[in-house]
Amino acid sequence: MKAAKALGASPAGRFVARYVVLLVGLFAVAAWQPVDDRLVDPYTTFVAHESAVALRALGEQVRVDGQVLSSPRFAVTIYNGCNGLEAILVFVAGVLAFPASWRARLLGVVLGVVAVQLLNIVRVVSLYYVGVWRPEWFTTAHVLVWQTVVILFAVVLWLFWVQRHALAPARG
Amino acid sequence: MPSRPPAAELRRFVRRLPWALLGALVLWLLVRPAYDRFLCGATRALARAVESPPAALVVRDGDHVLLGRSDLPPDAAKLRFSLTQVHFNLVPFLALTLALPGALAGGRWRRLVVALAVFAAAHVLALFFQLRGHYAFSLGNWSLANSSSLERNLVGTARLFFDIVVTFGLPFGAWAVAFREGVARLAGLSASG
Repeated sequence: MKAAKALGASPAGRFVARYVVLLVGLFAVAAWQPVDDRLVDPYTTFVAHESAVALRALGEQVRVDGQVLSSPRFAVTIYNGCNGLEAILVFVAGVLAFPASWRARLLGVVLGVVAVQLLNIVRVVSLYYVGVWRPEWFTTAHVLVWQTVVILFAVVLWLFWVQRHALAPARG
Repeated sequence: MPSRPPAAELRRFVRRLPWALLGALVLWLLVRPAYDRFLCGATRALARAVESPPAALVVRDGDHVLLGRSDLPPDAAKLRFSLTQVHFNLVPFLALTLALPGALAGGRWRRLVVALAVFAAAHVLALFFQLRGHYAFSLGNWSLANSSSLERNLVGTARLFFDIVVTFGLPFGAWAVAFREGVARLAGLSASG
């Protein structure tokens, strides 16, 4: 009890409390049906198109039908939950919860969204090739490997943002 | 007032992370058979404790679990769900922990035990709400007869919360709380003041 009170009073404890509230709030907004229909769903379709552009650049004859990427060799469906949004929300909650200037936070959100999005394209492209060459590894690569990598990437990205941008005013 | 931590510490953390990830994966693979059994047993016990008649079916099937009810005909729908999806988030949490220099020094391993207990509780609840979701949405007339609209909404929300928010948010949150001094050093926050 004493330890919990001390934690709550510390900057680290306040940061985690803000992080949890923001994380739940952001996911609640993203799960709300009108937001899902008008934002998340079109965003998932956009991710499918981005990934198709990358795969075509690699010489694959893929076509996009909604959120399904298909070629004569393999097909992947980008579901809500595979669009990189989870990592983005974890990162954004960390950025907004941190005691930084709004300018630094805005920069963090923009850079984070772009970085996670780029990683997500790499993820979809790699999963496509795993499906082509080693379909028996697809589930492990999809669930275990890439979800883990995406979470760790978001945490490391957040730590770099804190060092490079969020603490800049304290440095100066 | 935040003070800038040495960038060298963060570089050290990032250099350790791939090895820590490897260690976390090995630990997870070693523990997983026993953990899968625990998870299925605990979820079945929880589900049967809160339902009447107690008929929850939670059967391990390789690295998946079959969810259903034992009092329905054998051809009634069963949900086959990935146990990896339920508890893979232990891997990033353990990787972050192992990569943090001195994370378990000075008796802080006790915090790791508490954090792992929180993960276990979250995993049992995640599987429990998958089961309740299966009851509420996938059993046709049985679902309609046995769950109200309010219950379906509550179960759907809880299932989403544990399946997405907790799964993805817990590794960072638990790590930041359990090893707050080390994380604060990396982030430039004071852990105590």
